[in-house]
Amino acid sequence: MDTADMKLTIGHLYPDLLNLYGDRGNIVCMVKRCLWRGIRAETIEFNMGDRVDFSKLDIVLLGGGSDREQKIVCRELRRIRREFQRYIEDNGVVIAVCGGYQLLGRYYRTKDDIIEGLGLLDIYTEQGDGRLIGNIVLDSEWSDVPVVGFENHGGRTYIGGHKPFGRVLYGAGNDGKSGYEGVVYKNVTGTYLHGPLLPKNAQICDHLIKKALERKYGPVQLKKLDDGMEMAANAYICSRFAGRKRATLV
Amino acid sequence: MRWSLRRISAVWAAKITEKISIHIFRRQGAAWAGKIALKICPSILHELAGQVGRGIFAVCGTNGKTTVNNLLCAAIEAEGYRVVCNHTGSNMLNGIASAFAVCAGLDGNLKADYACIEIDEASAGRVIRHFRPDYMVLTNLFRDQLDRYGEIDTAMKILGRVMRQAPEMKVVVNGDEPLSAFLAMDSGNPCITYGIHDPVRACDPFREIREGRFCRRCGTGLDYHFYHYSQLGDYYCPKCGFQRPGLQFNACNIEFGKELTFTVEDKRIHSAHKGFYNIYNILAAYAALRTAGLGGKHFARVAGSYEPENGRMEEFWIGGVRVMLNLAKNPAGFNQNIDVVMQDENIKDLLIVINDNDQDGRDISWLWDVDFERLKRTATGSVMVSGLRCSDMMLRMKYAGIASEIEADVRKAVKRSVREGCGNLYVLVNYTALYDIRNILRNCR
Repeated sequence: MDTADMKLTIGHLYPDLLNLYGDRGNIVCMVKRCLWRGIRAETIEFNMGDRVDFSKLDIVLLGGGSDREQKIVCRELRRIRREFQRYIEDNGVVIAVCGGYQLLGRYYRTKDDIIEGLGLLDIYTEQGDGRLIGNIVLDSEWSDVPVVGFENHGGRTYIGGHKPFGRVLYGAGNDGKSGYEGVVYKNVTGTYLHGPLLPKNAQICDHLIKKALERKYGPVQLKKLDDGMEMAANAYICSRFAGRKRATLV
Repeated sequence: MRWSLRRISAVWAAKITEKISIHIFRRQGAAWAGKIALKICPSILHELAGQVGRGIFAVCGTNGKTTVNNLLCAAIEAEGYRVVCNHTGSNMLNGIASAFAVCAGLDGNLKADYACIEIDEASAGRVIRHFRPDYMVLTNLFRDQLDRYGEIDTAMKILGRVMRQAPEMKVVVNGDEPLSAFLAMDSGNPCITYGIHDPVRACDPFREIREGRFCRRCGTGLDYHFYHYSQLGDYYCPKCGFQRPGLQFNACNIEFGKELTFTVEDKRIHSAHKGFYNIYNILAAYAALRTAGLGGKHFARVAGSYEPENGRMEEFWIGGVRVMLNLAKNPAGFNQNIDVVMQDENIKDLLIVINDNDQDGRDISWLWDVDFERLKRTATGSVMVSGLRCSDMMLRMKYAGIASEIEADVRKAVKRSVREGCGNLYVLVNYTALYDIRNILRNCR
């Protein structure tokens, strides 16, 4: 099937609340990389109170917000938990960043509170001492070149038996100790990487687009794009940071 | 007037350090002078601040601090008073100590009527231990350098605590900005508000990130009668009744013609700097001046002739090329800068310089929160990107649909933009690039 007849619908969940780290860049990146290939791409933003119809969505983006905003979102999301779960089990593509990543798990325990998560994945997060802040470089099987980004999180996420998104080459990752970052379950990717994630990691973006198209249309071959600028921005971070020791604990 | 050998030595040490280091290390020189002064005499800031005769202003907020503070200082001086001011924008504890120490006489005493001190939000708690300001000007709260300052909530907590620790301090606040206004009104401190009551024909509306979407009092989503920009506007909470307060100092009859003009009280203000945010900066300084009981007889003249320095819409002329240099260090500030660029109907070149040193914030993901896409609708000759993160900036422009050239070396980028451009250049830079570029431009002049 010619990709020109294809269309993807991206659902951006609660952009008013979860928009702390340039997540709009992830949306722009997915949309443009579809359009450049002649694939139509539409973004639907869901705000508080909106009904989310997962059956109309091909990619769901859940971004990061401040603790107070995350709490508000979590309350909202729990109402659509079952539909969300069904979407995930049906191989729906999800990219969850930072706070959104934490929300996928069972809970986030802070020093004086426990925020119940959606429990979509059997993972959990606990607040540690200090925040893990800094540039981060990963080795991930979904990209030939290292995945680069910036992390800034107080929570330490424990993914149990799940598959991580990548192995940490520089930076802290999930908990600052395990050497791994993020989680992958079916077509769900949870990660602490913002920066935003996708523009400098074009292969990850294309991987999400491909998975979403294949779920809808069967096997596809994505047209190659000129990624010179994407690769240059990626290579700069790799050469500046990778190979050095871990990010400082703030 | 009291003598203190310790203080005299501290003042002398600060003066000498500043003289030497400001030439070699520029801005950091101010911080070192203060550090040494505080080392020699830990109570120096407390003592010198105590010698300020009539009143101390603390200028806080995410954007506009330096401009408001320097304009306020100039306005008070025009009324015939002596003012201590941290002009350079060195706004953490050491920089503030330095401003006082360097301004003191060789006998270790300070002869000043007022102090205008801009204070970094994160340092406000530390500074307040040394002296209690009589007035705080709170300009606005936006996301800024999340890796350094944390979320806005952190800044709000610190500023709220400072207000409670100085319950008599009058807070002059931007009433159009819900986070600042809430903070000031919630503190119990005496509050004076400024703002723009009516909608203004500003730049075309676009989708900006707005902070504080939820009522800080009850958590309900805020509604707006209209926005000015970002979260500034006429807001109200449909549930608990929290709303924009009445504005004591209101800018009306606003016109963006050849210059920016507006009226506040009985004064018609003219300014060459047309950015919408500039109305707020001027209003903040005026409201502070009036709150201190000063008449502001000369204010219109001062504001009209005020030439911002320190790279805040600073103008340079280099061999017939007009260069406007402006700091743009967070999405709200950058979006306002883009407004200024778009108000200029002439063709212009653009140079954007982005660094990620500690003082800039190492996280530059906010570049994707800036609406660069709007620049497609204005006539640009060329767009060049530079600085440590120039390849990120170039990528951002690619996804905004704007072609750009890259030149990592800042000096070369400036020279090329000046030499090869159309004669009308805007240079938008974040923090650490500002001082280098200012020097490059000054040397070219």
